[in-house]
Parts: sequence; structure tokens; C-alpha cells
Amino acid sequence: MEKVMCYIPKTLNEALEIRNKEDVIVLAGGSDLMVSHKRTIGLTPKFDKSVMIIRNLPEIRKIYMDGSECHIGAACTSREIAESPLVPWHVRQAASRMGAIGLRNSATIGGNIANASPKGDTPGPLYLLDARVKIASTDGVREELVSDFIIKFRTIDLKPNEMITEVILPLSEDDFDYVFWHKVGTRKANAISKVTLSQAVKFASDGTVCDYRASATATGSKTNRSRDVENIIIGKRIAPELIEEVIAAFDGIISPRAMPEFRRESCRRSIRRFLTEAEKRRIEGCRDKVIDTYDGYYVPCAPVCRLS
Amino acid sequence: MDKTISFKLNGEAVSITTDPLRRLLDVLREDFKCHGVKEGCSEGECGACSVLLNGEMVTPCLIPLGAADGQEVVTVEGITATEKGDIIVQAFADGGAVQCGFCIPGMVVAAYYLLSRNPNPTEDEIRLGISGNLCRCTGYDLIVESIKLAASRGGDIWKK
Ligand SMILES: Cc1cc2nc3c(=O)[nH]c(=O)nc-3n(C[C@H](O)[C@H](O)[C@H](O)COP(=O)(O)OP(=O)(O)OC[C@H]3O[C@@H](n4cnc5c(N)ncnc54)[C@H](O)[C@@H]3O)c2cc1C
Ligand code: FES
Ligand code: FES
Repeated sequence: MEKVMCYIPKTLNEALEIRNKEDVIVLAGGSDLMVSHKRTIGLTPKFDKSVMIIRNLPEIRKIYMDGSECHIGAACTSREIAESPLVPWHVRQAASRMGAIGLRNSATIGGNIANASPKGDTPGPLYLLDARVKIASTDGVREELVSDFIIKFRTIDLKPNEMITEVILPLSEDDFDYVFWHKVGTRKANAISKVTLSQAVKFASDGTVCDYRASATATGSKTNRSRDVENIIIGKRIAPELIEEVIAAFDGIISPRAMPEFRRESCRRSIRRFLTEAEKRRIEGCRDKVIDTYDGYYVPCAPVCRLS
Repeated sequence: MDKTISFKLNGEAVSITTDPLRRLLDVLREDFKCHGVKEGCSEGECGACSVLLNGEMVTPCLIPLGAADGQEVVTVEGITATEKGDIIVQAFADGGAVQCGFCIPGMVVAAYYLLSRNPNPTEDEIRLGISGNLCRCTGYDLIVESIKLAASRGGDIWKK
């Protein structure tokens, strides 16, 4: 078998130069690429193009604040993100539940976005918080909303000479009164999301909603979020009928394929739970920001299998 | 295309000229004879191959050798040569944690990684600490008990 080239640049500039000369496969943590290109035990994975390893580039492996915006380097691992107090709560939650411990020391946020899987864990919170990706090439840098950058299943808006260098978060939990994140998985570790809901709400002083957001993963060909759905409740006071209206509208924007009714019902319950509890806490003056699901909340409601 | 990759392996500087896209797992086993690094699933699910890369537990079945260039790798062989590693091995033996033994090198690495970061873990924290390591024999309870034993026997050693 012909061996392809493997570049191991030491600086970001070097990496961008290589990428400008050759359409290399960018490999960060390798946790998607090494699996998708694996052969059998003992054999080297088979890549059809040259590979450039960016895992250890210092410029894209740091987390910092610029004003009120949190910048996460593209090669930061899930553990680094989950453990950083600078990172917004929803993103920390998602990072802390990816794979298991070993995986979280390899999986990067850049890889999770570029992989563009609708089941990926970080896009949900990133859509919710209007996160942007910073993209660099030898031509310069540009920024784009993550929700525009991910075009659809496994398709991203990246030119052959570009690389993701950062993820920028303009918002955090501080911008909301109550927040919610819940991943339904088959077990606590190494569970690919069955469905994950991220939500956040902020109230005006008169008790009406001034901001509400909800995003869902594993419910379609990409992460789902819709300003039109959220606008139904903005400017109004939360009431049961209004919650049902939001739920019905959200149901209309998702298109889960496998186990659709289970996934739809999980979304309905998450939205109902979050908005009901947020309104209750607002009235009580409770400032406890995180709204959890409660035990037994997710009773699977997949269709019953009949043997006959 | 072959390249020379240099890194620290169990405290010693090593280098090797080979295809940098070979899995770190294969290079550790075949070229450096670290046979404690086991291959179970080949796709990051089982933790049998766990090693430390720059002090962080990773699964080298998912890592190309080139990613270790200039970095530091510690395998179970490196860990068991230390006082901390010895405490874990003894605790696993005394606690009856081992049946077929296939998962145990990975479990030892996971225990070491856990106790080095959290010298006094609760049972839940221990279970979380080994949640990426599958064992098909023991049912985990005696492994969890043995890690508790290693924590208490090691005491302040884990804080160093
Ligand atoms: C056992 C196991 C469990 C997993 N569990 C989860 C889970 O719970 N949740 C989840 O979301 N995912 C999970 N994954 C999938 C995977 O770990 C994540 O998608 C991870 O974030 C990928 O990051 P990486 O750096 O390892 O990607 P890589 O494999 O290095 O790259 C993935 C893709 O991104 C591209 N890429 C990487 N970095 C850049 C960059 N800076 N610029 C441009 N393109 C780039 C690559 O070219 C490639 O197309 C799991 C995988 C395994 C093996
Ligand atoms: S062989 Fe590496 S995790 Fe299973
Ligand atoms: S002892 Fe056999 S797999 Fe764990």
C-alpha cells in the first residue's frame, strides 16, 4: 500500500502554509478519523490523502476571555473545556458528557464541529449561544455562526485551504435567568446522544419572557433551533397554553428518523419541564439557575414491539 | 512516508523512524514491547489500551504515532515501576480484582489517573473514573473496592 504523507507542523502558520499547498486531511484528536479509516488489528489506518496532525499546536489549544466573549481553541479537548471556569455552562455540560474519560482527553471541539454529525454533543449548546467559528487560511481569517458553518449532515462551509482555529461564545449562562441541558443516552459513559435538549430563558422585570432559546441534537440532519419558534413566547408571560404552542411549533422543526416518537416526546417533555419550572421559580423568586430533569422523567415511549 | 518521531516513553527519550500514521498502540506494542497495552475494541470504547499522554489518560488505538512527537507517553509498565503503581497492583491482587486480567492494565492506568487527580475519591467517583474501561469478567465491584484500598493504603502518597 502506498503510504501517504503525514505532516506534523509546530506552529499554526506552518499548518496554514501546508494546508494552502495541499488538500490535507486535518487530524486533531483523531477520535472520528482513526475510527472511520481503521482497518484491522495491527494495521495502519488507511488514508487516501496526506494527513496533517494539529493536536499539539499551542495557538489553538488555549481558552481565554476577550472582553465578555469566551474563546476556545479548536484543538482544546473535551476535558479542558469541561474543566474551564471560563467556558459557558451549557458547553461545559456537553463536553463533560462526551464519550468517557480517555476519549475526553482526545476529542476536540474543532473536530466535533467539523465532523458535523447531528448527534455531536457540542453543536447544541453552540447553536443555543450564537457561537461563531473562527476560520483561518493563508488568505486571512473569517468568522461564521456555527449554525451556518454546519450546512447539513457531514457537510461544512470550509474551503480546502482553511482550518477552524477557535470557537467564540458571545453569551453564557450569566445572560439568562434559568438554564437547562439534558442528554438522553443509553448509559453514563460512551453514550452517543439519543436526544439532547439545551434551553435558556431570561425574564424582563414585568415577568414577561425577554429571551428564550431551545436547541435539540439527534433530531434531524443537523442540530435544530428556530428563532421563529422561540419568538412565540418572547414578550409574553409563560402560561400552560403558550408552552403547548411552543412545543407544537418545536415539534414542527425537528425531523428525527430513528425512533421518531421517542425523540419527539423527549423534546416535548424537556420544553414543558423547563418552561413550567422556570415560571414557578420566577414567581417564587428562586435564583437557582439550573433546572434539571427529575428522576423517572424520561420514561421511554418508543412504540411497543409486538411479536405477532 | 516514514519520519523520525521522538518522544519520552516511561521517562526515557526514545525515537523511531516509521510511518507516523501507525497507531500509537501498535508502535508501543510491536516496537517498544510494551505488551501491557492491550487491544480490545480498536475504537476507543473499551479502555484496554489506556496510556497517559502528557499525563492525561488516552486510548492509543485512536492516536497516530505522529501525535506523540515531542510529547510524553507513560504506559502501564511505567506506572507499575513507581511506588504509586506498586500500591495499585498490590491492592488489585489483595482485593481480588483480577479474573482473566485482560482489562487490568487499562484499569491500573485509570486508577492511577484517578488517584493522582483525586486522592480521596467516593465510590461514585471511582466508578466514573473507570467508566471508560470495560471488564467482561468481574462485574467491577472488586475493582472498585481495590481502588478504594489503593487510595487508603497510599494516603498522602497520592497528593505528591
Ligand atoms: C468511543 C467514542 C465515543 C464518542 N462519544 C462521543 C460523544 O459522546 N459525543 C460526541 O459528540 N462525539 C463522540 N464521539 C465522536 C468524536 O469523539 C467527536 O466527534 C470528537 O469531538 C472529534 O474530535 P477529534 O479532534 O477527535 O476529531 P478528528 O477525528 O481529529 O477529526 C474529525 C473531523 O474534523 C476535522 N477537523 C478536526 N479539527 C479541525 C480543525 N481545526 N479545522 C478543520 N477541520 C478539523 C477532521 O478533518 C475530521 O473531518 C465519540 C467517538 C468515540 C471513538
Ligand atoms: S482498544 Fe483502545 S479503547 Fe479499546
Ligand atoms: S478481568 Fe477479565 S476483562 Fe476484566
